[in-house]
Amino acid sequence: MEPDPADDADLLRAHGAGDAHAFARLYDRYDRPCYRFIRRTLAAAHAEAADDLHQETWLAVSRNAASFDPRKASFPAWLFAIARNKVWDHLRRRKAGIVALVGEDDAVMAIPDPGPNPLDQAVSRELAQRIVEAVEALPLAQRETFVMFAHAGLSLEDVAAATGVPVETAKSRLRYARAALRQALADERPAHA
Amino acid sequence: MPDHDDMPELRPDPTDEAYRRAEQALDDAAARAERRAKVLAAVALKSAPAPASRPPARPFMRRYGGWLAAAGVAGISVLTAEQVYRSSPQKQQSPPPMVQPPAAAVQAPIAPSPPAVSSVAPPSQADRQRRPGAETADLAPPPAQARPPVTLPVAPPADAAPPPPLPIPPVERPIAPPAPAPFAAQKPNAAASEAAGKIEEETVVTTRRQAAPGAAPVAVAPKLDGARSLREAAAAGRTKEIEALLDLGVQVDAVDEAGETALMKSVQADQTEAAELLRKRGASLDRKNHAGQSARDMAAGKGDPELDQALGLTR
Repeated sequence: MEPDPADDADLLRAHGAGDAHAFARLYDRYDRPCYRFIRRTLAAAHAEAADDLHQETWLAVSRNAASFDPRKASFPAWLFAIARNKVWDHLRRRKAGIVALVGEDDAVMAIPDPGPNPLDQAVSRELAQRIVEAVEALPLAQRETFVMFAHAGLSLEDVAAATGVPVETAKSRLRYARAALRQALADERPAHA
Repeated sequence: MPDHDDMPELRPDPTDEAYRRAEQALDDAAARAERRAKVLAAVALKSAPAPASRPPARPFMRRYGGWLAAAGVAGISVLTAEQVYRSSPQKQQSPPPMVQPPAAAVQAPIAPSPPAVSSVAPPSQADRQRRPGAETADLAPPPAQARPPVTLPVAPPADAAPPPPLPIPPVERPIAPPAPAPFAAQKPNAAASEAAGKIEEETVVTTRRQAAPGAAPVAVAPKLDGARSLREAAAAGRTKEIEALLDLGVQVDAVDEAGETALMKSVQADQTEAAELLRKRGASLDRKNHAGQSARDMAAGKGDPELDQALGLTR
């Protein structure tokens, strides 16, 4: 019986062994969430770097394939840790974005739940753009946590591993991010009603 | 496994879903395909020079090459000096033919070889005591340091012609240990390393292991290659990937084990757009595979006017 083709670690090993298709399969599995994570974490101000950082991330995955140990972290956690480092290095070089981390965990504690959820509205392209802009306006730590969890489908444990914080911290960031987004989308609602 | 009641963050949240849908609505399939082509091409190209395929003899040469060269130079120098200084006194003192030479002159060449010339093995302590001045010459020559002084067997006469300069200068360049591979490009940012925790640390440690001189290569040796990717893209008609690969420098007429090019693959698979693109990028119509067939022959066998037009065979 063939090994489970869905196993990320197997694909990475096969890539290391010279299987030309294994890397493409792995890439196809994660390129979308990885790219969006990079793009949203960069936000509009640094959007032009997204393609390069995305490519650098996958090159790093290829180069360091031998160092991946599935017993220590899942592949998505490893991949997003690499992507995150690329983004942070970029922002640090540009001296931007990092300042948003300071005090961010207390900033949105008092935001109330606005009530009806955003799914009540049809997600038009225009609204989609506003939602994405609201995500990009989140503090950096909340933003990366939210995108990893909500879009990339990482578990809280994987998010915590990728961002280097305890699970409780990741949980708090996710909660604050959702609250801030609900508030932002509630503010949008009258315009689309 | 945590219960959703304990962790409300794990419950489905409408905000998450709204964001997922928003990203879906903004999805750009063309841009994604273009990114895919570029990333896979870059990975294929940059993975090619694998550390495992480096010539294994290099560490040996780096470690011993300098010593061997220095030892060779020292040996040649000593032999040259021996010849020069042996011939000079003989010339000076050589008697006319048929005349019995003085006893001393006959003895000179037969006398025990001078230490600098004859010593190969390190001398015993007794030898050193017997010949206190010859210590430097007796020791095995340290090739990377100064050339050992040559002790002349017979002092040349004052009016003798000076010996010619040694043809090969002594080697004085110190042999440095192999420089460690540069880590600057891989050096992790401190804050990012902290943030990424153990995962980052593991990556960095492995990188250092790979680069350590003399260490066995740890890295994987991906054998992806751009030429193969190009032929595969041509057979599948993935024109953007073809363009990206060619832009990255992949040879348009690179052949596989059957001698077939990307253009041949595209013709065989009826990928007219790929064939047209490859022709525009300079692919040869007349290069033949190991079976003696060219892309032109293959197209002629198909009799497809559209393909012929794409290849520029009809007007």
